[in-house]
Amino acid sequence: MNMFASAGIVLATMVAVYVLIRVIRLSTELAMFGAAVGGALVAGFGFPSRHIAEGAATYLDINLIFVTATLFMNLLKESGGVAFVVRSILRRFHHNRALLLVLLTVLLLVPGALTGAGSVTVLVTGALVAVVLNAMGIPKHRAAALIFINAGLSAAAPPVSLWAMMTAAGVNMPYVGFFWPLMLPCLAGGLFTSFYLGWKGENANVMKALEELPVPPAGMSWWRVLLPFVVFGGFVFMGRQWPFSTPIVGLPLMFAAAAVISFLVSPVRLQVFRIARETVDQLLPLLATLTCAGILVEVMTLTGARGLLSLAVVTLPIWVVYASLFLVLPASEAVLMWGAAPVIGVPLVLLFNNRGLDPIIALAGMSIIWPLGDALPPTAIIGRLTVDVVGHKGTYGQFLRACLVPALFIIVVGTLMVVYSKKLGFLTGL
Amino acid sequence: MSGRLLAQKFVVISLGIALLATSGASFYKSRRLKEPVVLGPGVTTVRPLSTWFAPLRGTANDCNVYFLDGRTPGATMLVLGGSHPEEPAGRLVTWILAENAIVQKGRLIVVLSTNRSATTVTRLGGAYPPDFSIPTDFGSRTFRMGDRFTNPLDQWPDPEVYFHYPSGQQLAYVDIRNVNRVWPGRANGTLTEQTAYALMEMIKREKVDIELDLHEAELQYPVISTIVTHQRGQDMATLVSMTLTDSEFKIGTEFSPRTLHGLSHREIGDFSPAVSLLAETPEPFLDATRGITSREQLLTGRDEFVVKAGQHGLLFEKIDEKGWPIAVRVGRHTSTLLQIAETWGEDHPDKLLVISGVPRYKEVIANGVGHYLHDPAKAAGRVVYE
Amino acid sequence: MSVVTLLYYALVAFISALLVVNLLKSRKWERDVLYVLVLLPFLLRLLRLK
Ligand SMILES: [Zn+2]
Repeated sequence: MNMFASAGIVLATMVAVYVLIRVIRLSTELAMFGAAVGGALVAGFGFPSRHIAEGAATYLDINLIFVTATLFMNLLKESGGVAFVVRSILRRFHHNRALLLVLLTVLLLVPGALTGAGSVTVLVTGALVAVVLNAMGIPKHRAAALIFINAGLSAAAPPVSLWAMMTAAGVNMPYVGFFWPLMLPCLAGGLFTSFYLGWKGENANVMKALEELPVPPAGMSWWRVLLPFVVFGGFVFMGRQWPFSTPIVGLPLMFAAAAVISFLVSPVRLQVFRIARETVDQLLPLLATLTCAGILVEVMTLTGARGLLSLAVVTLPIWVVYASLFLVLPASEAVLMWGAAPVIGVPLVLLFNNRGLDPIIALAGMSIIWPLGDALPPTAIIGRLTVDVVGHKGTYGQFLRACLVPALFIIVVGTLMVVYSKKLGFLTGL
Repeated sequence: MSGRLLAQKFVVISLGIALLATSGASFYKSRRLKEPVVLGPGVTTVRPLSTWFAPLRGTANDCNVYFLDGRTPGATMLVLGGSHPEEPAGRLVTWILAENAIVQKGRLIVVLSTNRSATTVTRLGGAYPPDFSIPTDFGSRTFRMGDRFTNPLDQWPDPEVYFHYPSGQQLAYVDIRNVNRVWPGRANGTLTEQTAYALMEMIKREKVDIELDLHEAELQYPVISTIVTHQRGQDMATLVSMTLTDSEFKIGTEFSPRTLHGLSHREIGDFSPAVSLLAETPEPFLDATRGITSREQLLTGRDEFVVKAGQHGLLFEKIDEKGWPIAVRVGRHTSTLLQIAETWGEDHPDKLLVISGVPRYKEVIANGVGHYLHDPAKAAGRVVYE
Repeated sequence: MSVVTLLYYALVAFISALLVVNLLKSRKWERDVLYVLVLLPFLLRLLRLK
């Protein structure tokens, strides 16, 4: 049998196993793992434990960043720091709707930008921002859409953008020069979304919102909130300013240090072990996604399924690729979550590279489109999570419709970034 | 907790432990697989790299340095294999040198595991085999597969951003574990930087005249089937390429960009009197469009998918159903190396480098790589391990 | 081994412990499987195998 037929059978088996596992209502992570095991069996590799473990280890460092950064965010939330910031913003700026929307957007972008996960944004600042949006007279389905889209953009925003990092790693391209190509569209998209969905509404009912918002413990202050960020920023700054005289610290330890500081300066005694355990519990689906995506990619590489898929992608006419990004990226996200980056992103970037596009800008453009898929079935984890957190009681369809215009805006921006990546190349050097 | 729940947990955890044990055993074994080297008649001494930089002693990267002193003095050439161990042709060439080469005039210094730590690990997500075997006249010899990057067990964590020393150029953070992105190294840096530093010290103190770094590349990569040269080696490299293209196989020349830092062809030439060169052969095993990732593909270089990618104009080197067998890749490197020595001699009649016992392109293809690897069982006292 | 590297091993040990505690307390087999898979690379690193 030739290679095309055998790799085709492996790929078909993987799809079949994936669908089967999803049909019996098990999680996407298990479906990816099952697809990997099924593919290896059909290809005649048995149960390749070495490759499964090696694939599982692919994103160990990213999982470490995930846990430490989210722990940091959760400690900040439990210490009342997030509530303090939200209340301060509301009290000070309630008469200025535009400024309020800008600040809320920033508040939504920060947790995901640091952790790389939109769900962390939803969990850490989403609920509190929802209270403010409610007080601003924004209906729940629109508030949910506002938080969801911003959460997705926050995940794509630098410094930690997993789609860009994972795809870049897959094509041996440095994760360098991505800051502004990711930051600008995320800011533009975030502000557009917040204003489009949040501009209409009554004046903020400050009293009502302040009543609903959790009260931060006495003694909470700006310096207690900001000090851990200063420490984190200090590590980043030292590593960049004096790279040859400071020891290599690495992002996980920087976030761990920030977490330790936020514990130390918290005005209330925090139960670190409980919070850490809950953090890991809360992150399990995300940690498992990265682990299982690694396993799936390794087995696809082993069996030639990845080669077949890459070949299919890189031999497509370029205009077909441009015109289908809006569909392919969110759909692959819905099916594989971050696994979409190494599986679909890598061959796309190879193709773009080959056609003389700027791979960094193109990848940044793709990175802002991907997270839109988190609202789509079958997975829709983050979409559903947002709807829950906001307390939207209507249909999921209502929420999706509210997402439509901002999503289109992001798709257009992202696609244009891919098409005109060469001309936008200067952004990488800013 | 109910009995059923307990039983469930027991089964899942047992399976997990089985997975941990089997995969762990495989990683443990391949990290410690011993690769014998049968010292050839030309090897005069073998010294650890820490001879030139003591802090490397006891680390994974305290590799062997093989000296082949000529009968009469002349030029000194350093050959680096295993900068990127996942490109096995280069390492195999250094094995052939250590086991066969005789130096008449001048001196050959050979390193088989430039980044030894990287030989002990395989690429995450790459699905590489743990090792591969070359058939020989007496049986076979097995080598560690290796990766492009230093094993994280020997160097961890990676920085948030990596600035190359001393240029300050920002490179990918993972490249701090890529020995061919850290030249000329740093004495108080990471293990990888210290390795390059130690080699740099050796290059200076042993007065190396020519340095050749052996690599392989995926066909989708533009720098392939070529000699990359420092500006001080431009004339020589161009002549070598022309001679080889006329007589043996097609090979190009590229000039090392002055602004691209950390690479051996740039920094060794800039920071020592040596002329620095780097040779690339095609290795379809590294291509992203490859089919099944197997030992067979690694050694035959045959791959229908990569051929298909070539038909779509996506590659920088030709490939057909015959593939790129390991003997062809090794032979390209041996001929390149021998031709460099010859061409150097034409320019430096007072400082010759004359090597014998090393097969050229056609001989390696005719006899196979394994023909030049000898039986460690029959070489008591002349065997060292990488 | 440098201090920073030791801290990383400590971090991995800490997270592994959290994962193990959660694994033992979880009540769904599906989560059990995911915990085991996520734990695997952490333990391989802790045991200095990968
Ligand atoms: Zn290389």
